Amino acid sequence: MLFSKEGLSRIDYALVIAVVLTVFIGILMIYSAGFDPIDKVNNGLYRKQLLWFIFGFILMIGLTIVNYQSLGEFSLHIYVILILVLIITTVFGTPVRNTRAWLNFGFFSIQPSEFMKLGLVIILAKYLEIRERDITRLRELVFPALLTFIPMLIILKQPDFGTAIIFIPILLTMLFVGGADISHLLSIVMIAAIAMVVPMVLTYREWIGAEGSNFLLDFFQDLNLLLIVSGVLLLVTVITFVLHFFSVKKFLRRIYIPGAVISLGLMTSVIIQKLFKVYQKRRILVFLNPDLDPQGSGYNIIQSKIAIGSGGFFGKGFLKGSQSQLGFLPEKSSDFIFSVVAEEWGFFGALVLLALFGFIIFRCVQTAFESKDKFGALLASGIGTILFFHILINIGMAVGIMPVTGLPLCFVSYGGSNLMMSMICIGIMLNIRARKFVY
Amino acid sequence: MLMQSSLRAKLQEAFRLRMYFYMTVTAVAFAALLLQLINLQLIQGKEYKTKARLNMESNVPIPAARGDIYDRNFREGEKNVVIVSNRPSFNITTIPAKFKSKKKLYEILDLLSRLFDINKDEIINEINNGNPWERVVLKEDVEFDTIVKLASHQDKFPNIDWEDASVRVYNFSEMFAHIIGYVGSISQDEYRKLKMEGYKHYQKIGKSGIEKQYDRLLRGRDGYVRRIVDVRQRTEGEEVGQRPIAGENLVLTIDYNIQNTLYDAMKDMKGGAIVIKPATGEVLALVSKPDFDPNLIISKNNADVIRQLQKDRERPFLNRVIQSKYPPASTFKLVTAVAALETEKATPEKSYYCPGKFTLKGYKDHDFYDYDVHGTVDLYWAIAKSCSVYFYQLGLLTGPTVIMRYAEDFGLNQKSGIDIPGEVAGFVPSRQWKYKTFGQPWFDGDTVNMAIGQGFLHVTPMGMCEFVSALVNNGIVYQPHVIREIRSNDNSRVLKTFPRKKIREIPLSPLTLQAVKKGMRMGVMSGTSGRLGYLKVPVAGKTGTAQTRSIRQEKFSQHAWFVGFAPYEGPAENAVVTVVLVEYGVAGAASAVPIAEKVYTKLNDLGYFNVAPVAAAQPDAKKAGAAQARQIMLPQPQLPPKKNAAAPVVPDQALQKKPAAVKKAD
Repeated sequence: MLFSKEGLSRIDYALVIAVVLTVFIGILMIYSAGFDPIDKVNNGLYRKQLLWFIFGFILMIGLTIVNYQSLGEFSLHIYVILILVLIITTVFGTPVRNTRAWLNFGFFSIQPSEFMKLGLVIILAKYLEIRERDITRLRELVFPALLTFIPMLIILKQPDFGTAIIFIPILLTMLFVGGADISHLLSIVMIAAIAMVVPMVLTYREWIGAEGSNFLLDFFQDLNLLLIVSGVLLLVTVITFVLHFFSVKKFLRRIYIPGAVISLGLMTSVIIQKLFKVYQKRRILVFLNPDLDPQGSGYNIIQSKIAIGSGGFFGKGFLKGSQSQLGFLPEKSSDFIFSVVAEEWGFFGALVLLALFGFIIFRCVQTAFESKDKFGALLASGIGTILFFHILINIGMAVGIMPVTGLPLCFVSYGGSNLMMSMICIGIMLNIRARKFVY
Repeated sequence: MLMQSSLRAKLQEAFRLRMYFYMTVTAVAFAALLLQLINLQLIQGKEYKTKARLNMESNVPIPAARGDIYDRNFREGEKNVVIVSNRPSFNITTIPAKFKSKKKLYEILDLLSRLFDINKDEIINEINNGNPWERVVLKEDVEFDTIVKLASHQDKFPNIDWEDASVRVYNFSEMFAHIIGYVGSISQDEYRKLKMEGYKHYQKIGKSGIEKQYDRLLRGRDGYVRRIVDVRQRTEGEEVGQRPIAGENLVLTIDYNIQNTLYDAMKDMKGGAIVIKPATGEVLALVSKPDFDPNLIISKNNADVIRQLQKDRERPFLNRVIQSKYPPASTFKLVTAVAALETEKATPEKSYYCPGKFTLKGYKDHDFYDYDVHGTVDLYWAIAKSCSVYFYQLGLLTGPTVIMRYAEDFGLNQKSGIDIPGEVAGFVPSRQWKYKTFGQPWFDGDTVNMAIGQGFLHVTPMGMCEFVSALVNNGIVYQPHVIREIRSNDNSRVLKTFPRKKIREIPLSPLTLQAVKKGMRMGVMSGTSGRLGYLKVPVAGKTGTAQTRSIRQEKFSQHAWFVGFAPYEGPAENAVVTVVLVEYGVAGAASAVPIAEKVYTKLNDLGYFNVAPVAAAQPDAKKAGAAQARQIMLPQPQLPPKKNAAAPVVPDQALQKKPAAVKKAD
């Protein structure tokens, strides 16, 4: 049906062209990043990326044939299979830089955690579609959270901190779009924030050897006091909750919700402070502020900023970026590919790439609006969320306004699994758009 | 159904609202990325361009060759005596910051210290105290073959680099050591003081002598090669950023031939000697013994050798001409004589009888001895034969204040200002000084001692040299210096010459000068410096034998002095003053005079006294002097001066015998 004249006309050619252009830019940049100006040889990664792209393109077009709604029907199967593969990978995978994230098939290897992101979005979209009317309840959030935390924990075990952490914004965005109570979402965010702030402030002050103290710092320092205060607060919260349960005094809600947030947050922070080792907390700090580690990830950010900044308006020209060509830029074909674009093609090239990404994201949002059913809408926004966060975090890291994670820039960074996953995403998107009038 | 559809619509509306919010957040995020891009690329673009350039450029210095140093006979375009030159070489260097970790750096140092003679601890110390981005020299003066080998195994020596270097060559090793000095790696203190002047911590700096004094002229300016390197320091391309500018060349006032003669004459001795032209202050030769070979200590890898030399009890680094003080002994009698004559306390004809000892009357009588019985002597003979008894009495007659004043007027307690760093001033006592130091007034005994240059007086050979220069030059003293001119690094242009600079003018009557000079001439003709009498050039001189109690040896030891000038008569322009001091030598006549003899013979051979620009009477006077010398020498063939000097005689005998022999002839 789809390949009828009418069906072909429904394919969003603009999106396909944008994606192909983006991938093409990526392949050129991988060529540039793989070129060694001294030995005049190329490491040949661009050829592999080209193969992946061809394969991914076929997959993308092929996916338009299958009705996306059947993805929803098989969402649990997909999810379970992916979880199993993820477990297998984590146990038997080939360690690369101490991370078991890859399954090696000889001439190629795949990273199941990439596909897990899409798998999660599919099952969340399906769940949220089914629970559309009940989702405002707090307990309806437990199952989506579980669905998210299972793969997250497995990936943390690999360990791949960067990939694991992106599951949280995906979950929160999906819940938000899916209609969850905003106060619930805010409460969760607040608890997490409070839980992190106390140990981070303490570790940071200890690390940089800060002097002086004040009332709040003394309070943070005394863990037992912290525990007692939060315990008392929790007790008050429980009492008000019980009172609220029996009477129907609305104003009590205003007490027990913030009470629960603060007390749970403080308790979690005590647990984090006690359980985590100093170096682990420092790692999180470096993640948030790379300048704390100028030799490690801080060095990468400095070099990346130099590469981007020195590109100027028109850039230094293809194969002429000193930062990337002479190797000062680390991870230049994967994590910092955007810096290569910005160095060699300048602000102009970066702007073109940003525009392409903007268009792709816009198309996802548009698809979500226009989808004929809730599942399609949620799926489109979920896919948009995956792509958006990759773009934001990767480019944000390259320009120095986001923490350092190993997240690739979708369509552009070298890496078969991410490219395939991104192409599949676009395939689903085309599918949803093509069927918006087909009932 | 209606309910349901209205609920559906409501849900649909909620979803749309949230999607709008979602879109807004996305747009804001993209805007944030865009703003940061504008900030980095358009606003801060220039700064980041500079940073990117700094990243890939590794500026490797091309050392400037230090200026050459020539002797006074330098003629442009001819073959000249090059005292100091340079030879090309290589240094192995590194930039510590380019190592990922200290451990990796230490591993490489370990490997290198096994291959080369490198003091690892010192280099680690240097690295830890310095800026990690600055180049550190690990091994100096490596041959090209070694660099080739290193280059072909570069993978085993990451971040190890090399650079051209220019090694200082002191062509005459020890001979000029105390004039030229030596260069060495810049110390941390020196670097801190001089870095504003463009000194780099890996550079060499003059540590003593001319090398130190004229370092700013000699050092030139380093150039650099701008290398484009990748993160592993592999070179992609290079270009000369700035060519080095070689240092300026120096022409010394030192005459290699005289320096060579003087150096040979002082072989195996300890002491210092200086030969100077009083009319200009040009130093013709300057030797201090023991000495050192600068070639062995310039490398930073030879720090042990320097330390050893510094610990040496013989103190080879000490320039005994300007940095060491000795009692002037009998040479000071000349000052006493000048003081007495100038203040008209005595005339040259004043005579005393010398019974061989002098008794100072006082609360308790005290005897001062002479080495011989001289009989009745006037001032001329007292100078010629160095009669102490005469000067004991002349000193008392003149009074200590006057003698001290003249000693100070002659600058014996001042630095001469010679352009070799590290000079010390001599010491002339005063009444106040004695009272302050010993709590005692000045006694007549002190005057008696001072009159013959013993006691508290201490002078440098340089100081005595200035004194004799004043006698020769009618009271005018020009600043001694060892640099004749500064030339451009290709020798084509003279950048600076050093006109004579008057530092002192002592009003002295011609009669005084004539009397003292005559006494000195008689000392050569028939007195203590007798063996100089036969020379073709008329020399005038005075010997001295300083007795010091050596703390270490717990017995008296003697320093031998000779101060003199030639020609005796004639224009001051031609005169050459020589001062010789031999530590622990036998008497002045035996140790110091033969050195002066060789120097004056050489000076005469080189024609220093022939170039008389003035008067036809001059050669006559010279001839007359020479004839006179021969005349006097002839009657005493049984005691030829050479044999006398060569004989290993007991100090006192050496002084006793010769005047006695001369006396007979007289």
